[in-house]
Amino acid sequence: MKYALFLGCKIPSQLPAYEASTRAVLGHLGVTLVDLRFDCCGYPARSYSRDAFVVAAARNLALAERAGLDLLTPCSCCFGSLRHAIRFLSEDAELRARVAQTLAAEGLTWSGSIGVEHLLPLLAREVGVAALAAAVRVPRSGLRVAAQYGCHALRPSDVSGIDNPIAPTMFETLIRVTGATPVDWPRRLDCCGDPLHEANAPLAGHMTRAKITDALESGAQALCSACPHCQLRFDAVQAGSTDPAIQTLLYTQLLGLALGLPAKSLGL
Amino acid sequence: MSTALFHPALYASLALCALGLAWRMSAWFRVRVGPDACTVTPWQRMVAALRGVAVALFGRRLFRVLGALVLDALLLRRLYANAKLRWLGHQLILVGFTLLLLMHALAALVSEKLFQGYQPTLEPYLFLRNLFGVMVLVGVGLLWFGRRRERSGFAQARAFLGAAFVALLGFVLVSGFLLEAHKIASPRAFYRMTEQYAGTTDAEQLKPLRALWASEFGVAFADLQQPIAADLVERGRELQRDACASCHAKPASAFVSYPLARLLAPVTGLMDAAGADTWLWYLHVFACLLGLASLPFTRFFHVLAAPISLLVDAAAPQRALSAQPYAIEARASQRALALDACVRCGICDERCSVALLARYLGNPDLLPSHKLIATGALAKGRLLRSGEEEHALRAAEGAFLCTDCGRCTSRCPVGLDLEDLWQAGRGDLAVAGLAPPAQWVQARPALAWAESLEAVPRQHGLAAPDAAFAPLSADRRSFSRCVQCQTCTNVCPVVAHSTDAEHGIDLTPQKVMNLLRLGLSDLALGSRMVWDCASCYQCQESCPEGVRVADIIYELRALAVRRLGSVRSRRQAA
Repeated sequence: MKYALFLGCKIPSQLPAYEASTRAVLGHLGVTLVDLRFDCCGYPARSYSRDAFVVAAARNLALAERAGLDLLTPCSCCFGSLRHAIRFLSEDAELRARVAQTLAAEGLTWSGSIGVEHLLPLLAREVGVAALAAAVRVPRSGLRVAAQYGCHALRPSDVSGIDNPIAPTMFETLIRVTGATPVDWPRRLDCCGDPLHEANAPLAGHMTRAKITDALESGAQALCSACPHCQLRFDAVQAGSTDPAIQTLLYTQLLGLALGLPAKSLGL
Repeated sequence: MSTALFHPALYASLALCALGLAWRMSAWFRVRVGPDACTVTPWQRMVAALRGVAVALFGRRLFRVLGALVLDALLLRRLYANAKLRWLGHQLILVGFTLLLLMHALAALVSEKLFQGYQPTLEPYLFLRNLFGVMVLVGVGLLWFGRRRERSGFAQARAFLGAAFVALLGFVLVSGFLLEAHKIASPRAFYRMTEQYAGTTDAEQLKPLRALWASEFGVAFADLQQPIAADLVERGRELQRDACASCHAKPASAFVSYPLARLLAPVTGLMDAAGADTWLWYLHVFACLLGLASLPFTRFFHVLAAPISLLVDAAAPQRALSAQPYAIEARASQRALALDACVRCGICDERCSVALLARYLGNPDLLPSHKLIATGALAKGRLLRSGEEEHALRAAEGAFLCTDCGRCTSRCPVGLDLEDLWQAGRGDLAVAGLAPPAQWVQARPALAWAESLEAVPRQHGLAAPDAAFAPLSADRRSFSRCVQCQTCTNVCPVVAHSTDAEHGIDLTPQKVMNLLRLGLSDLALGSRMVWDCASCYQCQESCPEGVRVADIIYELRALAVRRLGSVRSRRQAA
């Protein structure tokens, strides 16, 4: 198992613990990660220009293609962006030609030969739940965890769906394998509010708070994310508030603890 | 040789330099970057800075500050980590220039005090002066070459000021070498010296000395008989020992000037007649004084601002994760300082996450080195002057497309906290009415935008959704299947959380699709639903007819930026 690791922009600068724990856990599980000179996935440009968005995404895809590696990302938004770019490129020949022209300036090409994978399905399918279960040394028994998939990992299912978009079970299975108990919470598939923050901060805050409250009321002790945007948004909203708080935990940290990796290597 | 103008010029240059420095440094307390910086006065900032200096000198951070002084300010480890060739170039200039300044330019204050019997025409000073000069020239070449290798595709930010200063530096060095070469070759200088130190002007008496100086010291006598007799040279050597040797070594070790002197030999007579020793001296010295006087106003100001910025950064509470809050009184000054400490080296641009977008959109203001200038121009009010409207819009696009990936900060050789600067700059942009699209579009109701669009004659590219730019909105098959079942609205979290009129949305996803169906997409462009969409794709996932609702909403945003943007510029112009 060998992948080009796509960290995106948020993780290295604002959530280094996610990078550390991802590298620690995947290294421990025998997944080889290669670092290429990736740039922005294109996500912020999508509201400005579809072409600019696809060009930015395609350059990353082309870099991975040149290295002959599939892309792996622990960010649900980068995942969605890169998968969307592939869709747009596949369904629009004129766009493909325009993008090819820009990429050619750097001697790059995109042919669609490489895939984009999200961290969760990599763990659940490639590494496999059975292998994870066998590797667990310190089960997190008794910890009740609410799973936060990150919208763009699930929807739209014909682009990025890593699991059933209406009733996903993958993340819960991955939580169960660590020995922790996944909780069923009504708002688990709702948006964390992050993409709305710039446009309408009060409404975004309302959405984030509603999710935190729901997780708490559902008996969760920790809110476990597989996307830096969700994690950072939960932390930001809780940081400025006196309302009841919930522990936020990245999935790679939860798994790393269960694997018996030192907390420090997981950014904890 | 008359040097009467030297002292007035020196004092004038020093005065200009001092005034300029005072003005530039006062900006560190005057310039306000970020809305939060407007809450503190320059006085408060000065007090905070003084307190910071005291804490740094007498506190636990002293060691960190000293470490930064050595490793960051002198050894430039951050530059070394990211650009080895340019690091070498910079260090050659730093060492070469500093030593030239101390040993040569300030000889009266330094060399003559430190070294017994210092004479610029003795060893090792002859050799060292040439060595230092060559170090600077090679360094300049390496910086230029290193920069050329990594190009962002845009002209360097404020390239002219940088080029002007490099030209001046080059001129100082070249004129210095020429002056030295001319003085080596000049018979006129020879006669002036012999009269002064050998006490004679008698041609016969000077004959042996002339022979020696012509054959071994490179003086280009026009009237000398060739070949020079060996015994004459030997007799000259005795005279040389008595009259000249205490101040003059053979100039051959001046490995640039001496060959240059031999090269100039054919024209030395002409240059002597034209008084070249005087005007070359004036050119050389006045170029130095011009450099001194303009130091505060050129990129050379970084010799002061950059080390100070590095020391301040070391003395400040560590960014991120720090338990200590960093007071805005100090932070505001650090931002203003950052504007001056930036060397425009462009190392930040090389790995900028959105560099490709900058090139693709043709907007250099996405790149950190350009964005820093725009941030400063906005803080100083220059970006809001008339005639700057386009630049202001470009700056806003650059600021809001930045992903805060932090690579510029981690690569900056002078350790600027650029993320803080970008955040402050975005705040200033929003205050100046240059908010991101999600905000400026929503500042007016959708209906008002639609009416404005109505008034604009439809022309080039602003017509109905462009098929290449927004293919889904342009193709009625993509939304005509909508049966208005409202499933999208029912699953929309934004609709669900829109409980108050002030922050709630106006339309629902299903209504947006209906406007497209009715050919009224103009009414949707400025709608809060379009701009407050969380892009969670619940609508698209749940649509029983397979309408790509969220994808269409993204397209409507891009269309709005383009079409409403042109209406907005028109309104602002009017």
